[in-house]
Amino acid sequence: MRSEFSLKLRPLRIGAIVLGIALAVLWSMPLIWSIVASLRPPGEPFARGQVWFGSGISLANYFRAFSLAPFALYFRNTVLLVTLILSVQLITSSLAGFAFAFYRFRGQNVLFTIILTQMMIPTVALLVPNFQTIRMLGLYDTILAMAMPFWGSAFGTFLLRQAFLGIPRDYGDAALVDGCNWARTLWHVYLPMATPSVIAFSISSVNWHWNNLLWPLIISQSDTVRPLTAGLARFTQLGEIGAQWGLMSAATLIVALPLLTLFVIFQKRFIEGFMNSGLR
Amino acid sequence: MTRRGNPLLPYMLIFPTLFFVLIFTVYPTISSLIGSLFQHRLNIPRFRDPVFYGLGNYIDLFTSGQFRMILGNTLRYVVTVVPLWVVTALFLALWLSRPRFARLRVAMFHPTMLPMVSAATVWMFFLTPDYGLLNEFLRFFGYSGPENWVSNPSLSLWALVFVAFWKDAGFYMIFYLAGVQNLPNDVYEALKLEGAGPLVTFFRFTLPLLRRTTLFVTTVAVIGAFRIVDHVFIMTQGGPSGHSTLLLYHLWRVRFDSLNVGQSSAITVILILMLLAFTVTNFLISERRHTDA
Amino acid sequence: MPRFMMITALIALVAVGAFAGGQTEATEDQPVTIRIAYPVAVDAPVTEILDGYAEEFMAENPNVQVETVYAGGYEDVKTTIQTTIDGGGDAPALGVMLATDLFDLANAQYIEPMTPYVDAMENSEAYLDDFLPAFLSNSYYMDELWSLPFQRSAVVMYYNADLLAESGHGVPTDWETLGETASDLTERDGDTVTRWGIEWPSGWPYWLFQPLAIGAGQNIVGESDTEVYFDEPEVIAAIEYYNSLSTEYGAMPEGVQASWGNVVPNFVSGNTAMIIHSSGSLSNVLSQADFEVGVTGIPGPDGGSFSVPGGGNLYMTTGLSEAQKQAAFDFAVFITEPSRAADFSIQTGYIATRESALADDAMQAYISENPQAGQTRDVLATAGKELAVQNLGEVRNIFHSHLQSAINGDMAPSEAMAEAQRAADEALADFR
Repeated sequence: MRSEFSLKLRPLRIGAIVLGIALAVLWSMPLIWSIVASLRPPGEPFARGQVWFGSGISLANYFRAFSLAPFALYFRNTVLLVTLILSVQLITSSLAGFAFAFYRFRGQNVLFTIILTQMMIPTVALLVPNFQTIRMLGLYDTILAMAMPFWGSAFGTFLLRQAFLGIPRDYGDAALVDGCNWARTLWHVYLPMATPSVIAFSISSVNWHWNNLLWPLIISQSDTVRPLTAGLARFTQLGEIGAQWGLMSAATLIVALPLLTLFVIFQKRFIEGFMNSGLR
Repeated sequence: MTRRGNPLLPYMLIFPTLFFVLIFTVYPTISSLIGSLFQHRLNIPRFRDPVFYGLGNYIDLFTSGQFRMILGNTLRYVVTVVPLWVVTALFLALWLSRPRFARLRVAMFHPTMLPMVSAATVWMFFLTPDYGLLNEFLRFFGYSGPENWVSNPSLSLWALVFVAFWKDAGFYMIFYLAGVQNLPNDVYEALKLEGAGPLVTFFRFTLPLLRRTTLFVTTVAVIGAFRIVDHVFIMTQGGPSGHSTLLLYHLWRVRFDSLNVGQSSAITVILILMLLAFTVTNFLISERRHTDA
Repeated sequence: MPRFMMITALIALVAVGAFAGGQTEATEDQPVTIRIAYPVAVDAPVTEILDGYAEEFMAENPNVQVETVYAGGYEDVKTTIQTTIDGGGDAPALGVMLATDLFDLANAQYIEPMTPYVDAMENSEAYLDDFLPAFLSNSYYMDELWSLPFQRSAVVMYYNADLLAESGHGVPTDWETLGETASDLTERDGDTVTRWGIEWPSGWPYWLFQPLAIGAGQNIVGESDTEVYFDEPEVIAAIEYYNSLSTEYGAMPEGVQASWGNVVPNFVSGNTAMIIHSSGSLSNVLSQADFEVGVTGIPGPDGGSFSVPGGGNLYMTTGLSEAQKQAAFDFAVFITEPSRAADFSIQTGYIATRESALADDAMQAYISENPQAGQTRDVLATAGKELAVQNLGEVRNIFHSHLQSAINGDMAPSEAMAEAQRAADEALADFR
């Protein structure tokens, strides 16, 4: 709609489309190559002059990947994990984001900064203390243990605060005057108007935790709770022999395809969400 | 500014988030802060139990040429990749915000959804000297420079920048997409009627209106630039000769390879302080501008 | 009030988790449970193999429960064990970690010596003597035995025997013939090289470089755990020779080559005539190459064949009960038994760790079918010691950094190594 800086003229518009397609193809090259690589017969190595298709198309890499790691089980765990993280994050973050955007209170900036440190602290510093905490809670080797450290999300709080700040105060004030309590104001006025940001946050949260490996690996030991990335790691860390491009590509696609598909489907909702939010 | 009702309400709203942040972030941060004041090296028997060291860890770090080089690498990396991300994300969002570009949007965004370990491994293949796809592509456009990207001391850092840029530009785009939706239509229609050119529209209206989003994206991008590290493990291992060692990669090595817990805590503190300094300044500037406007 | 409900729910969730967790811990009273954490570093069904061994073991020892824990790569196994022990948890009883990690792991008290258990064996001496000495040499520290060789490999040179025969060359036996052969086998089409004579990865260089230095007459690591010899003339000569393969012979890509993942495909597709790589790649190489593959050590300046071992050993972690220690050790012995060492070698491509595994029927049959598997073993007869010293992470980093400077021509080899020696001595000073 609004990116009106602006493609009026026909040739210009066609040029933009051509440029767009070229860019999209270039940008997707690693994915395209991975798909091709995963279908290459395993006996035919990649080397100079042999970087794309092999002598035929073969699903052998996929069969092998599935035989080396219980991907179906991992898939269930990953879905559980990201759902468990996102659902709690959405609640905690919208509450906190609302408080920071709508109210003025003592210590606001300090508290906000404290929450922001959650994004800044490197994983290395977290491993040992958080392992201790999880152990004290008796949660070792559970999906809950993988999820809980992320329930307080600086990113979500920050993003929703930004989105809520963009909503004119009058809306909220009017709702309160009309007798809505804060919860109804948040639910009926603020959240609907921040849909694009809620969606953007959901995508990034799901995506981040879908691909996170180290913490789940350390805090678990059984395949019954481990996520997809634990399967992927079997193919990306073949330190002794160097990368097996075909096999790794197949495993990567097994891990990433559900998410990619979800996103492509979600694209429509994504846009609708955007459209609806443009109330004005 | 005053609100009716319970003055404790905002605190209660923040509580759930704060609760988990206190347990899973603040506690580890404080333990790093304290730990950084101790000589605590697991692989030396007499330092296996922490011995008070004052600011020794910080002094050791800042007097080491290696650490200064790592800081330099990290700054160059961040200062390059963040503007690349932010500017690209903004233009992509403005360009691709129409529904008919949905597919293009997917194309630009999808690298974010690939695990970095896999993406970096694929890029290693593309960057192969000689027959790597990137080199072939560049040669097609007349490039004749060095091709050994990850092993060339003056190129390896840029190879990391490039892969990080490719991976996350689309990620930052979605926040601009969300911001672009809130641009007021009527202003643009009025501008169109007045015959304002695209440049004027962009610099006088679009950019200022997206200031809040830019603040958000820049902050997150700077933090993100410091935090991604998988591509260093896969592509360069910080080499050749340390020319692509980034702060976080170094932190890993100090903690888990050299088992120097005290020094790794000091690096953690330095990292957090740097990010806090940046974030707070960023906010101060933006809030001031905000009240001016 | 929704917020209270929510907070209550969260607290309840935590409490439920705590309760559930407590429950599982309470059940482990009579039978002994041990866990073994392992990495997967080759393209082989390591999980299935180990699970199979665990089941066999449990059938023989009904009161022991063995759980295998796949933990990622070597780095991840170490990180997991370190985090668990630093965090006060129960680490897996056995961990497969790099043989060279010994000193750091022992100093930090992550691992437990195995000596008392070996001594208690009926045939302890014979048991230990049966391991290949090159592998076992990385297991001793402070007069104790700390690990048992398990998934081990070695640096080898793979050569395309067909190409060698076509060009009338024999297998290179010294530096000069290696350079000349590589040079002859390099093919160029104008300025572009279409086939390299030799590829020798140097992105993580110490391991593949060591045989070259040993061949020249000086290993970079000494007998003691705090001695390194980076600035000896022989080591410098080895660097100069490495560089000469590209600068003089024009047979190898110039500068540092981060090509660990590429060289095997290049080799098996005939694009590179000889490569230096891990013996762990052997099964891959054999399954993909459509020519005669030869395996040998790295030649020295005046002949000989040199190598260093690599790969992972079985370590026993600290904090175990007496019963767990015994069970862990028994399991370690069980999976290193000759027939299993042979089976593991055949299925994964790792080198069988024991002499008697060679006599195993299955192994004999395998070797007669794949003589190269026997050749990798022969290479080990003259293998030197892999770089393993105190403060390994830092010392190795120092060496890598300076070696790469010398290879990239940023520094003269002698200058780079003098500096590396100085820095390494400093890093080792606290340990002497």
